[in-house]
Amino acid sequence: MSRRWPSLLPSGRALIIGVPWLWLGLFFLLPFLFVLKISLSEPVLAQPPYLDLLREIEDGLVTIVINLGSYQLLGEDPLYRNALFSSLEIAAVATLCCLLLGYPMAYAIARAPSHWRLPLLMLIILPFWTSFLIRVYAWIGILKGNGLLNNFLLWLGVIDQPLVIMHTPIAVYIGIVYSYLPFVVLPLYATLVRLDLALLEAAADLGCPPWRQFLLITLPLSLPGVLAGGMLVFIPVMGEFVIPDLLGGPDTLMLGKLLWIEFFNNKDWPVASSLAAVLLLVLIVPFVLLRHFERKAEQGR
Amino acid sequence: MRSDYFRLNRIAAALLLVGAAQASAEVLHVYNWSDYIAEETVARFEAQSGIKVVYDVYDSNEVLEAKLLAGSSGYDLIFPTARPFADRHIRAGIYQPLDRNTLTHYQNLDTAILNSLADIDPGNQYLVPYMWGTTGIGYNVAKVKAILGEEMPLDSWRLVFDPQIVAQLAGCGVTLMDDATEVLVAARAYLGQPTDDFSNTAVAEAAAVVSQVRPQLRYFHSSQYINDLANGDTCVAQGYSGDILQARDRALEADNGVEIAYAVPSEGAVVWTDVMAIPADAPNPSAAHQFIDYLLQPEVIAEISNYVAYANANAVATELVDEEIRNDAGIYPPAETRAKLRVLNTPTDKQTRAMNRAWTRVKTGQ
Amino acid sequence: MTTSRPFKPRPFKLQSFKPQPSRQTPEREPLVRIDNVSKRFGDFCALDAISLQIHQGEFFSLLGASGCGKTTLLRILAGFETPSSGRVYIDGVDVTDLPPYLRPVNMMFQSYALFPHMSVADNIAFGLKQQRMPKAERTERVAEMLALVQIEALATRRPHQLSGGQRQRVALARALAKHPKILLLDEPLGALDKKLREQTQFELVNIQERLDTTFIIVTHDQQEAMTMSSRIALMNKGRIEQVDPPRHLYEFPATRYAADFIGLVNLFEGHVVDQVDDQLLVHSDALQGALWVHHSHPLVVGMPVTVALRPEKIQVLSVLEAGQPNQFRGQIREIAYLGDMSIYHVELPSGKRVQFTQANAQALIEQPLTWNDEVILGWQANSCGVLLA
Repeated sequence: MSRRWPSLLPSGRALIIGVPWLWLGLFFLLPFLFVLKISLSEPVLAQPPYLDLLREIEDGLVTIVINLGSYQLLGEDPLYRNALFSSLEIAAVATLCCLLLGYPMAYAIARAPSHWRLPLLMLIILPFWTSFLIRVYAWIGILKGNGLLNNFLLWLGVIDQPLVIMHTPIAVYIGIVYSYLPFVVLPLYATLVRLDLALLEAAADLGCPPWRQFLLITLPLSLPGVLAGGMLVFIPVMGEFVIPDLLGGPDTLMLGKLLWIEFFNNKDWPVASSLAAVLLLVLIVPFVLLRHFERKAEQGR
Repeated sequence: MRSDYFRLNRIAAALLLVGAAQASAEVLHVYNWSDYIAEETVARFEAQSGIKVVYDVYDSNEVLEAKLLAGSSGYDLIFPTARPFADRHIRAGIYQPLDRNTLTHYQNLDTAILNSLADIDPGNQYLVPYMWGTTGIGYNVAKVKAILGEEMPLDSWRLVFDPQIVAQLAGCGVTLMDDATEVLVAARAYLGQPTDDFSNTAVAEAAAVVSQVRPQLRYFHSSQYINDLANGDTCVAQGYSGDILQARDRALEADNGVEIAYAVPSEGAVVWTDVMAIPADAPNPSAAHQFIDYLLQPEVIAEISNYVAYANANAVATELVDEEIRNDAGIYPPAETRAKLRVLNTPTDKQTRAMNRAWTRVKTGQ
Repeated sequence: MTTSRPFKPRPFKLQSFKPQPSRQTPEREPLVRIDNVSKRFGDFCALDAISLQIHQGEFFSLLGASGCGKTTLLRILAGFETPSSGRVYIDGVDVTDLPPYLRPVNMMFQSYALFPHMSVADNIAFGLKQQRMPKAERTERVAEMLALVQIEALATRRPHQLSGGQRQRVALARALAKHPKILLLDEPLGALDKKLREQTQFELVNIQERLDTTFIIVTHDQQEAMTMSSRIALMNKGRIEQVDPPRHLYEFPATRYAADFIGLVNLFEGHVVDQVDDQLLVHSDALQGALWVHHSHPLVVGMPVTVALRPEKIQVLSVLEAGQPNQFRGQIREIAYLGDMSIYHVELPSGKRVQFTQANAQALIEQPLTWNDEVILGWQANSCGVLLA
């Protein structure tokens, strides 16, 4: 009896590998199939506001009706293409800013005396203890016409007219860079702190001055962290909605906002779904690249 | 029709209410706009009826609609804006007809308002009007007069759509709502053209008006203007009557020397009505009827009007409303102003989408 | 019981037989002059007033237990640490404050510190690129280095694709590529297994001879130091105990620490009783008598001294030989069989134990010694030495 059981049950190994796959299937693949299904249907005024793909015409005869109109709209209307490019641009610029700002921070923490590292990391993580929304709201108070920043600059006498920052792309960048900076700092720190300092000594020993040590050794070896941090910013910023909505101006055109409009204002779930599907496709490409890079880095270790 | 994005404190208060109401046997789930009821109303109803009220709030019709269309929202009573939202919902078949016999105070309702809803709700089967208001212009009296002179009539859409005037006011700050229908209909009124035309050409004409002034505008937003007007950060804002009056009151409270006034533009403005309705899949429609009937009592609804500064749809209640509110031309407009008001016709879904996409294009300067 | 194999000096062409006349010429400026260098880390004194001179072409070892300061001294030579006081001269130039990348020395790291993102050839070429060597010359030099350490086939591999021994060769080639005046090696063989280590020792010596580069090596392994070095500096607690060629260090340790650190040694505490010419008579309680020791410097009678005697210098006598000094009775208590030879622990009447070794080839011919055998141990006066510290 007892000997027969193990063959019926999955082996421990299969179980361990199976759980993440099950998780992915249940919480990523399945919802995505729903989204895909909706994107191929027609919008109607009903509950839910789209037609099922499977339709029974008369007893027993079932047809599948696929509507590619949503994708056609995305292809034809330059609004969506422009939104994609604009999102790509904002995500790319924000990622670059995060990296430029986050790298020195991560570097400084990784090189700080070990008893300082944890407190410094805590300072990076600390803002997460306040609601994201409240932190973005705080920026409104700082950046607006008679906000903290302008009043301070006016008081200093640096400017005599309030700077218009609120509701401009600059405000969006400030908000995004502020919100996503920790996502860059943490993976960068993780790679930089692992860097064998003997490698830098070896480079110095072979005639390499400090700045070139950074360029030839530290930077290339921290690329996995740069990439991981970059992706952690780039991917969510592509679909970011709250920050451009709260801090951005009218000309901040992003996919997240368009998705909101299609879903809420237009009740056009198929178009919203097809936008989501396209966004996913756009994001999967860099993700696959990241995996590829990680695998290479693993081999390097 | 009000829009208060992410009013966190209100939402938090609502959550507390949810927590308090969990234990009882009979429960009523109400989904209303944030900040759209008097402080004591729910508690008094609970004491009187023995029904626990779970009171949730939203800040845009779109959020409400998305929940309803997804199905199984779990709410017994909702407060959508009649046009175009409740109109669409009736046609989508997601409301249940009212049991008029249980609504003992129904006769208190203003028949004129009931009649105005008859075209979208024949026989008033589904909707009970709650509050109504207008969409017009709020402005900083001193600053606008200083820039445009005393002569310039300020009850005009020219303040937000005439390129020359907007250019003069730009430094002071001019804003439009972030709402395709509201802005494009207002632009049609500014052009002196029929506001119920949602054809592509009509939308394109209206969009052209907005495109012209767009570079001069401070922003498009449907609630930000409350604070900014009150603080003196902006000078002119298109907005809901109640919101602009709220800005006026905030400025008064802050005593910051900012005087805000509300005007219904002479070219015509949209009058809107928020209604009560019971979703078809409401778990407890009888409790919803009891709550509606409670709100139909003149003294109850008058207290709400006093609190939220909107006119209610209850004819008997008007005299119970505070004099200050009742005589405010921004809340209860005089007859000649009412003559300029028009209801918003519901565009078809195709028109709505075309309009929203055109709007996004205009807004982002594409 | 001792189970580790004691050091047995192997006659080996590269060490003390190496002709070294030029190195000893006093008027010649040494290649490295360490002048009164101290290094403190907080309260800890890692190096205490070290002075040392190393000459061109030497294979010089810094030998000592962990924490003795040998690595710190090497890092000061490389420029990774700055001495707290004292100066360092290389080729007559004061390099004390020169950063590592400006010094004419290269280092082979204990961990090898190969750049993981570069191929073997790029690792070797790294230093050459830094000095902007033209590409053609560089390629040639890399090929030369690959050939030197016999890893031509591995040029395109990444470090993670190499075995430990191969990595060690890459590290060596990289450090030698710039033809440094001095090569510093920090425990270069520490990560290799025993067999590979012994084999590589000879290779290192061969390479050093061929290039005539000065090698300064840090090691804790006395056998490694003895096998490879032309001179050894034995370090202890931040100080230098003794600097000498391996044979000299073994045969004539200057201090108790030196005698004890290298190989096996028997130590007898005592005091001077008499001195005749270059012979000292030392009384030791452990021996319950006096023994004669060769010592050329005059000492005061009554002065406390320690006599050091290597186990292999002790002979087992069948009978007491009349008129011969340094003969003592004892009983065999322990025998450690090591294959080629055995170590015998003999208990003297005083309870003091003395170790001696005997080649097993010899033991087979004679009557084999066994536990509890009564033996007479004897040695020549010039087989043992006097330690003053």
